[in-house]
Amino acid sequence: MDVNEVDDDEFGFSRNYFLAKEFKGSTKKSNHKLSDIDLVEEQELRTAAANIEPKHEKEVEELVRSYRTLYQRWVFKLRCGFNLLMYGFGSKKALIEDFASTSLTEHSVFVINGYLQSINIKQVLIALAEVLWDQLKAKRKNYSGNSSRGGQQPFNSRSIDDLLEFLDEPQVEEKESFICIIIHNIDGPGLRDSETQQILARLASCSSIRVVSSIDHVNTPLLWDKKMVHTQFNWCWYHVPTFAPYKVEGMFFPLILANGNTGQSAKTAALVLQSLTPNAQSVFRVLAEYQLSHPDEEGMPVDNLYATCRERFLASSQVTLNSHLTEFKDHELVKTRRHSDGQDCLYIPLTAEALEKLLLEIN
Amino acid sequence: MTASSASPPPSAATDTSANDNIQPFYLLHKASSSKNSSRKSAAARRIDLTPSKPSNNSQFDSHKAFHSVWSKIDSSIKGVLRDVNNNVFNEIHTWVRQSFLEITSSGLPSFAEATRSLPILNHATSKQLFTGLVLIKNMEFVDDLLTFEELGVCLKSHGCHVANLSSRDFSTKNGVGGCLRSLLRQFLMVALDAADISILASWYREHGNHDSPVVIIIDDMERCSRSVLSDFILMLSEWVVKIPIILIMGITTLDAPRIVLPSHVLQQLCPSKFILASPAERMNAVVEATLVRWCSGFSIGHKVAVFLRNYFLNHDGTLTSFIRALKIACVQHFSMEPLSSNLGLLAEEDSNDEGEGPDFSSGMVAQIESNLACGLTELKRSQKCWGTVVMCLYEAGKYNKVHLLDLLCEALDPNIYNAVASGTHTRSGKGFDITSSSNQSVAQQYWRKGGPISQVIQKVRDLPAASLSQLLKSWENLTMDILEIHDKVKELHPMIKMEDGMSLKQDFTGLSKRHTSRTAAYIKESKTGNEKAANLITSMISKFMKPIECIPFHEVVCFKDVEKLQLALNGDPRRRIQVDLLEFHKFLQCKCCNRTGNVPIPSMPDTSIMYTLAQEHGDLISLHDWYQCFKSVVTNPSIKVKHKGKQQSPLRKKRKETNENENKSESSIQARFCKAVTEMQITGLIRMPTKRRPDCVQRVAFGL
Repeated sequence: MDVNEVDDDEFGFSRNYFLAKEFKGSTKKSNHKLSDIDLVEEQELRTAAANIEPKHEKEVEELVRSYRTLYQRWVFKLRCGFNLLMYGFGSKKALIEDFASTSLTEHSVFVINGYLQSINIKQVLIALAEVLWDQLKAKRKNYSGNSSRGGQQPFNSRSIDDLLEFLDEPQVEEKESFICIIIHNIDGPGLRDSETQQILARLASCSSIRVVSSIDHVNTPLLWDKKMVHTQFNWCWYHVPTFAPYKVEGMFFPLILANGNTGQSAKTAALVLQSLTPNAQSVFRVLAEYQLSHPDEEGMPVDNLYATCRERFLASSQVTLNSHLTEFKDHELVKTRRHSDGQDCLYIPLTAEALEKLLLEIN
Repeated sequence: MTASSASPPPSAATDTSANDNIQPFYLLHKASSSKNSSRKSAAARRIDLTPSKPSNNSQFDSHKAFHSVWSKIDSSIKGVLRDVNNNVFNEIHTWVRQSFLEITSSGLPSFAEATRSLPILNHATSKQLFTGLVLIKNMEFVDDLLTFEELGVCLKSHGCHVANLSSRDFSTKNGVGGCLRSLLRQFLMVALDAADISILASWYREHGNHDSPVVIIIDDMERCSRSVLSDFILMLSEWVVKIPIILIMGITTLDAPRIVLPSHVLQQLCPSKFILASPAERMNAVVEATLVRWCSGFSIGHKVAVFLRNYFLNHDGTLTSFIRALKIACVQHFSMEPLSSNLGLLAEEDSNDEGEGPDFSSGMVAQIESNLACGLTELKRSQKCWGTVVMCLYEAGKYNKVHLLDLLCEALDPNIYNAVASGTHTRSGKGFDITSSSNQSVAQQYWRKGGPISQVIQKVRDLPAASLSQLLKSWENLTMDILEIHDKVKELHPMIKMEDGMSLKQDFTGLSKRHTSRTAAYIKESKTGNEKAANLITSMISKFMKPIECIPFHEVVCFKDVEKLQLALNGDPRRRIQVDLLEFHKFLQCKCCNRTGNVPIPSMPDTSIMYTLAQEHGDLISLHDWYQCFKSVVTNPSIKVKHKGKQQSPLRKKRKETNENENKSESSIQARFCKAVTEMQITGLIRMPTKRRPDCVQRVAFGL
């Protein structure tokens, strides 16, 4: 808060950064490879991951429960027109949903799971508009019954602008009526791109919408510019670490020890190769043999490969060879890189031993 | 204990439908009072168990109070900003009218000609597009979004057709079609897929719209896609004969059009320049309206004021963020202070009864206790005096370019006031005496050297006579309501005036030998005038400028919790998430991890162990080494046991368990390692291995 304090922080940050950079240079680089660990089979790893014994379960529960005293304040902030942003270490999914189902019963609550890989934001808007429309219809019936939007366009044929406009229409009858949107991980992979964030910002500023959202990434604020932060999202921040495991949020992340394993990729390569034509397999073998016999070269020049394949009657033209190569590249069996003399070279991104094993397998 | 057994933990309650977890979106529940679904009934049951829940009624009151107070603050902010912009808006409107006349002077095309879908090309000059470049005095556009909106409203009220566009409409993805659609939306109120400017042309002709100019406002021109903006301008300039379009663009530097637009597009523009008020000017006006004048009854304490000032100066220098901070302060106050709902009543009372009478109507007295009512009356009176003195100081400070916010911070400081008040009381009694200079010398030593108040007083001492007389006149106007001060000012004013007259005469007669003709006596005389004014303002300060925190019952209206404000305003996820990992113990308060040093122990959360271990690496962490460290921490507790004697037994038990499941442990440790890495990836603390370095993860966050 103090000017000096801020400066100190900044200084500390930059110092740490450079220390870390230096550290890398000064210490001996670790020669150990990931493959030196005796890795267990992926299936076993997944089973073990699903059965991890949680630590501090009781304390976490107690901590999450302690936030219940804040619920009334959160409702108050929402009613005053603010949106809530929850951050802090630990999954906040359960906390926010508990808040919504205990304290926001008077309002419709809509959930967006931002931690999923892809979310169609337009579908979200359409669904929201339908919720609001139902709500308005129910209210109108209660009051007078004059539905002014009898001949309206169905929501799924409207544009995003129209939908947002509909959600932003002032509701004269009841100021207090709003739909609360819970966005788990507004910084999640499905929502992270700037266009979606712009739409979410506009959504958050709509008069009949309030947002309760969670973030986990330390650099999330970089997604937003000043207009979004100050005039649209209008966040009220809450630091609510829960230390609950990121069970659902981490569902789609690959386990780091499950891939990058040479045995694993040689196995998948073999599977792919077995599904290809014998000719294609032979082309691959040419390339593999070349790579094994020239371990120091950057790869096999394309012309070279073509010449060899022609000699062995594996490819009659450049076109057929290219079709094989495209297939290999699509499955990441083969990659290209630029040779030092400027020529494009082909290589197989596997170690020599893995390659040998692979050749044995396709024979 | 019973409560905890009756109320299920949130995780158990909400994890019921795993299906919902993989839906991109779903409706959790509808707004209704019926409690038929099982989820809702559980929810309802839990509501009853919520501890210390304030009654609905009191919350409603404070909610209403917040709205009544904030709507007052908001409308007064809008009011002053409108006043600040008024001049430049009028200037723009006059220019729009003139440009319109100029466009239409060459005669309008016939209806048939105008609605034909091809543009008319007479001669080059007719393609010039009148463009108003509105220079904003801040690098940030966010403050001026509202300004441009208001400009649109203002021009509309003068009968122009106005459309507001922003950089969002000028995206490369949508091209010119996007801007046109937006224009048609705003002018014709229709959404068309096939947007064509000829539609706009026929709209302009058809509906008797053709007596007024068409104004298009682009608020942040520099953020538009260059090619789209260029195409848009070229298109408009071709149609300008048919549709008298006038363009207004917000820019941050005068070079902006030259940088953004290619020269052949620039040639189509006929620019005029307008300048908006600077952020500091607006800030002064807003602070005056919201915090110095008693507009809503809500006020802030010294620390909050200092925080707001630093936030404005250091954070981003935008008024918008300042206003937002103020709003959060206001909402925090109402959500925390139980008596704050009285402030709402006070505010309403205020608007019903604008007059002098500080006493409240019987309705109010009935609602709050009478001594509280008296206290609030006193508070209100005192605040009025305080505000008046601050305004007098500010009036003088204008000669020295002192900002009101700086002044406010010092004027709210209870320590300075207490020191000054006790000092003057002991030395010169209670009198409000403008001639005594002892007051002032005592007071002087308490104000921060070079601080705004001492600067202002110094300035009053140095002011030339003419300005001094003007200043006193403005003081006279400001203090109209407070007779005690008003009389003193009035008393002083004629004296100064007389001196002023003398000096004027002197100036006229002896212009050539001005310096030599001034006698020492005259200088002394005029100096005494300044001295008197300085003494007056000093004693006004010590007698009337009582900061709100020194007045009883100030808690009702005054927000002081600077920490709460800071937390709500701007979370600091980068720092806090890392602190969470390091200091998890503070939150979990478990008995097993009561650690003293920075040594990871196995009972810690896995991610905390990993984060602590990661600190020992450089910017690249070898996965192999990291894993081995992790493994040794979680499997080998014995070496750490000596750090904590009394925790031996649970750790030993744990070790025993680990030994039992030795065959299982390897896979489970690897799984825990993977999970912890995933959690660190979710929090953005590390970056995953790349193809180039498959065995290393990269640290992203360094330090707190």
